[in-house]
Amino acid sequence: MSHKRLEIERKILQIASKINQDIEQGKFPKLEFPPNSASNIAFDESVGYLFKPTYYTRVDGGHIKSVKTLAGLLYGMSRVVDHLKSGLTMTKRDFYYMHKVERLKNTLCPKDQTETDSRIVQMELILGMPREAFSIISDPRGWIYGDIELVDASGYTIKADRIGEMGYSVPPDPENIEFKKIGVKAVVAIEKVGPAKNMIELKIPEEYGLGIAILKGQPSRSMRRFLRMLSEQGVPIGILTDLSPWSIRIAATVIYNSISSAHIPGLAVPNAAFLGIETKDVEEGFFKDYQFALEDLTPLDIKAAKDNLKLPSLQGEFWQRENQWFLKRKKKAELEIFKAMSPSAKRLKELFVEYLREKLEERLGVSI
Amino acid sequence: MRLPGKASVYREELEEISPADFFYRNKALAGFDNPVKATYTIIRELVENALDACEEARRLPEVSIVLNKVEEKDKSIDIDSEVPTELYSLSVRDNGTGLSAEEIPRAFGQVLVSSKYKLMQSRGTFGLGGTMALLYGQITTNMPFEITSSTGSKIHKITMKIDIQANKPVVLREQTLGVSIEPFTEVKLHFRGNYPRARSKVIDYLRQTAMITPYANIEFREPDGSLYIFERNVRELPPLPKESLPHPKGIDLELLQRMLKGTKTRRLVSFLETEFQKVGRKTALEILRRANLDPALKPKELTSEQISALFRAITNYDRFLPPDPSILSPLGEKLFMAGIKKELKPEFVWAVKRPPSSVWGHPFLVETAIAYGGDINPTGKVQLYRFANRIPLLYDASSDVSYLVAKRINWDVYGIKSLEEEPIALFVHVVSTKIPFKTVGKEFMANEPVLAKEIELGWRECGRKLKAYLSGKNRVKRAISRYIAFKRYYEVIASSLEELTGKRPAVDELLRKLAPTVEEGGEARDESQEA
Repeated sequence: MSHKRLEIERKILQIASKINQDIEQGKFPKLEFPPNSASNIAFDESVGYLFKPTYYTRVDGGHIKSVKTLAGLLYGMSRVVDHLKSGLTMTKRDFYYMHKVERLKNTLCPKDQTETDSRIVQMELILGMPREAFSIISDPRGWIYGDIELVDASGYTIKADRIGEMGYSVPPDPENIEFKKIGVKAVVAIEKVGPAKNMIELKIPEEYGLGIAILKGQPSRSMRRFLRMLSEQGVPIGILTDLSPWSIRIAATVIYNSISSAHIPGLAVPNAAFLGIETKDVEEGFFKDYQFALEDLTPLDIKAAKDNLKLPSLQGEFWQRENQWFLKRKKKAELEIFKAMSPSAKRLKELFVEYLREKLEERLGVSI
Repeated sequence: MRLPGKASVYREELEEISPADFFYRNKALAGFDNPVKATYTIIRELVENALDACEEARRLPEVSIVLNKVEEKDKSIDIDSEVPTELYSLSVRDNGTGLSAEEIPRAFGQVLVSSKYKLMQSRGTFGLGGTMALLYGQITTNMPFEITSSTGSKIHKITMKIDIQANKPVVLREQTLGVSIEPFTEVKLHFRGNYPRARSKVIDYLRQTAMITPYANIEFREPDGSLYIFERNVRELPPLPKESLPHPKGIDLELLQRMLKGTKTRRLVSFLETEFQKVGRKTALEILRRANLDPALKPKELTSEQISALFRAITNYDRFLPPDPSILSPLGEKLFMAGIKKELKPEFVWAVKRPPSSVWGHPFLVETAIAYGGDINPTGKVQLYRFANRIPLLYDASSDVSYLVAKRINWDVYGIKSLEEEPIALFVHVVSTKIPFKTVGKEFMANEPVLAKEIELGWRECGRKLKAYLSGKNRVKRAISRYIAFKRYYEVIASSLEELTGKRPAVDELLRKLAPTVEEGGEARDESQEA
């Protein structure tokens, strides 16, 4: 941990010293970094989004348009080092507020948070590290429940099925988590809290040796990193979402990472498998008799489906076929459809297990 | 002056009156409607007379005006007015050629009507010059006036009056007061008027006169002793206007009759050739053919039907060449700008002299200017300065053709959002042998399309210069604010680096490289370095 911190401090000091030197020599300081623009991002089905810098941006201290960026980066780095040294974290919002100070009133004081947020991305690009590494964190989102034992930054050993009804809340920077024991056959990452909580309440993790990861919508960077770390430990990862234009993006983000964080390595889980809900389930499989329970797509959903046509991570044959179904049927299926099939709790458990058994077997070769 | 409309049946009841008498009965026409306006008009007429005298003598004008209030024991003299009046003495002195003792009575004691029908660009609004002012003084005070003058030797002082009915000077006293090598003329008169209420117009008039005659020194002492000095900033006179024959399109039936009466020619065809410009033998014969008149007719013997036929033929003929503009004497761009700079101290001024054109059979020429910033402040109104034959026009600005033009131009194109709310002043100077005034008051010019177009083209050209100036000014502003921004960002950079490395880099060397150049307004550099 302190090793990582020192590495960052060293990197920042290197940059600062170089700029200092340039200024002392009467030269305009310059900084170069590869921007996370489309031309620097590649996509490969087997590993997901890849950051492949071929094109660099130059921040030139002799140019009025980039002197602000230069000042902003150096000020940002000075705040980062200050926080790192005192072991304090900050959120993006904190970082924004740290620019709303008297002495920056005529210079870096931002109009809104997008200004400082994009500065954070530039720092990630220059330092080649995720912001979590230099203490800028997000609010944590995502839980893991199941037979997993780990030690995190708190120093305590944690059992993810003994820590409350939602399981272990994955911290903003999971980088330093150390796994002590992994007793699950697979982890199922679930988009929605409701169905995931039901599975826990129905004791499915305990009875079938499964881990349940609760994503709660678009998965956070920390959750994706955590899933990747589990995957690297050899744990099969399955993804269970709604059947909607948004949900296939969620699945793809877990598997391939996303464009906006393409420059952050270690977020994709290429071995993860999409478990559904998929169109096949609705048209001829598990839910074929429950088509009346489908929901109509909203105009926003339809727009998302159209945007999906161009998304690099969804160009695969499977994803495009799924997406075409939205555009044709203008329908979606939500995970709550299990409740439409089974008003009773006993039947619900049977259906969950039946569905998961079929998909885990088919997609991951895991038997429960 | 001949009176129109004298019908023969009333002949015995009407008496012949002298020009002086005519003026006396029609004061309002000449700008003497009331004591306030009269005060302004008297000063104005005498100042214009004085400037004319200097320019004719080709001397740089030195005009000094002294107005004093005269204490009265007995205010018995009453003129028919509701405005309270005071007795004033006014003296106006110029450094023109001066007049001999013999010339003085005729020059000042008689309202003269020229018998020659020559045209010339002249200041005098009414062509009668200062005599009317003297006449007004005499009428309101019954006091004589004094003319003191030297042509470069003896100084003569003549105290005199005008016999209004006879239109003749009456010399009361003649004195010789030593010698002056410098020629001069000084006119001193008494009049009843109201200066306090005329004051702002008088000062405006003098300031604007100083603007349009930047080669003149003008001094004015007010009754309370305050002294206004308008000093020249150029030592160059504009060329003297030249006389010319009338253009056939520039006459009316009355003038034609008088010209026929006064001509020395014996044949109608030679009358046309000799008395007009732009009429040759061929044109003269063509006009007479159209009028169905014998070219050999004696001009003095034409019947009124024949005169009408001739006038119609002239009016309908449309192939005359335009009137000769070479006789005009514009101020010129350089002098125009000098005058504006002198009185308004603008940060920008540009003047344009348009090529000559003609209206109503008279040549005219427009000079325009635009001034911006400096002592000019926004007033919420259009700031428009109008001049005609080198005299300012102070009344009825919003009826003037130039006001209409100013309002119809889209000034936004020239970087001016609002004429009323920005520090901008517009100027127009029209010179002509006959300024196209709209009314007898001669305070505003008619909306003649040719005239309007010339004014518009002139202002538009000035506007383009203004735009270039303003964008250059913005460039300077940008260069300075760019430098200030650099300074501020390098302060952040330096303090951040100090925090990171423990060493604050010296950024001054870099900032020197970034300082605005002299063309970019480099003086701001030192200013901001001190800050």
